Amino acid sequence: MSESRRSPADRDEPLYRPIEHTGAGFYLTAALLMAVVLFGVYQYVNQFRLGLGVTGMNQPVTWGFYIINFVFFIGISHAGTLISAILRLNQAEWRRPITRMAEVITAIVLLIGGLHPLLDLGRPDRMLNIFKWGRLQSPLLWDVMCITAYFAASTVYLYVPMIPDIAKLRDRGTRPRWLYDFLSWRWKGTPRQRQVLNRAMNILMVLVIPVAVSVHTVISYIFAMTLTAGWHSTIFGPYFVVGAIYSGIGALLVIMIVFRKVYRFERYLKLVHFANLSKLLLVMSIIWFYLTFSEYLTGFFGREPAELAVMMFKLSGPYAVPFWLMVLLNFVLPVAILSRKRTRTIPSILVVSIGVVVGMWLERLIIVVPSLAVPYVDFPSHPYWPSLTEISLFAAAVALFWLGFMVFAKFFPLISIWEIEEGREVAIEEASSRIAGYLPDEPDTPVPEGTGRAER
Amino acid sequence: MMYRLFIDTWAFATGVLLFIGWLMMVAIRWQDAFNWTLAISLVMTPVYLTVAGTLTYVFIGLRRGASEEETRP
Repeated sequence: MSESRRSPADRDEPLYRPIEHTGAGFYLTAALLMAVVLFGVYQYVNQFRLGLGVTGMNQPVTWGFYIINFVFFIGISHAGTLISAILRLNQAEWRRPITRMAEVITAIVLLIGGLHPLLDLGRPDRMLNIFKWGRLQSPLLWDVMCITAYFAASTVYLYVPMIPDIAKLRDRGTRPRWLYDFLSWRWKGTPRQRQVLNRAMNILMVLVIPVAVSVHTVISYIFAMTLTAGWHSTIFGPYFVVGAIYSGIGALLVIMIVFRKVYRFERYLKLVHFANLSKLLLVMSIIWFYLTFSEYLTGFFGREPAELAVMMFKLSGPYAVPFWLMVLLNFVLPVAILSRKRTRTIPSILVVSIGVVVGMWLERLIIVVPSLAVPYVDFPSHPYWPSLTEISLFAAAVALFWLGFMVFAKFFPLISIWEIEEGREVAIEEASSRIAGYLPDEPDTPVPEGTGRAER
Repeated sequence: MMYRLFIDTWAFATGVLLFIGWLMMVAIRWQDAFNWTLAISLVMTPVYLTVAGTLTYVFIGLRRGASEEETRP
């Protein structure tokens, strides 16, 4: 049957398939991921029982994998809501099959990232002291507030545009019916309901952008507001935000490519979507390099002994390998591959995106650890090596992310069906009239009053 | 059951606002940079209120939209 002769419901049947037909592969993968998560839980119970002595953290390096992963995962969360909100706000029509996946990444990763400070505490019960004696003027508490606000806003921003799709699942009789019935809020697609949905989405997308930017800026303040060499920097706010968006786009591309292959979404996620996102990735790579260069050049030029000691620890000391690998993965590789159209293919974009995710994790390592390893006071310095507990908890966090994404895909469409339909029905005409509006008026077109042009 | 989500939303927002209020009281009691605490509270409070308000607007709007369709002759 040709594409144009299919009914809209048939046409988008592949988007319902992952929800209504679950293969053995799903359960096998879920079981494997669950095993990794459970091993992580076992390791955490061990740490809870024996204390932080089971980790590789010691004096002077008191922040290790947990804080690195906290910054890394919260950074990845910028993939979603921020990218989705910016693309929606700009009416970028190619966004339609992408936004849902981006928003899901945010919700899952914020949950996982938010748990990490708790893992870092030898006495997690002391977290409750925040509720009793928290100091709102401390950057640590700003972090708690910002992440909670971002999580609340991005979960609502994920949920609200999902309501029409949930209603479609309800109308198809997909199980569990009670879930779709409950979450669809009596959606019938009436003009009034559409108006409410659009207005709510507009409010949320405007709200979410500053909240997302504030989250990573505040995380950078945890470091930048400390008088520690390598941390006390004025550009850390934008540097962290740029890094977060950069790693977020990388993670989004990896997810898109993997789930496109697994669920056969080739008709929806086309080369043009990857090409556009990879151009964004390239731009972020260049901005990231510019900020890294500025950060290191100013520190090097000042020749302040403590600053220089930390810098040399990174450039030619024990952290030279992760540092130069970071530069290779975050700048050299993306620019070499993505700047040429010929090499901008899906497999090469996958390689670059995985490289960027790994490179950005290394960047978090390079920021967190060397500054602690070279303290101001005379103290024996030694490189930090993570223990099995930290490595297994990292693996568990990554497995939990994939598992969370798979479970979401089992219950909800990964691509927004109603937005695809809207794209087919309305957006083509709307986009062409918008483009016509950008072009100069014909000479004989009457000029409306108050447009700033001189009255005759 | 549908009201549950509505109640949860406002319970969450109210909880956070009460928490902020409590932290301000702690700052006054210990004379601990109250001005800064107030400034940060003024930034955070509207975010939670906007999220809860938007969800309420969606909740009421969708119900009204559905009811209008049902009562239309």
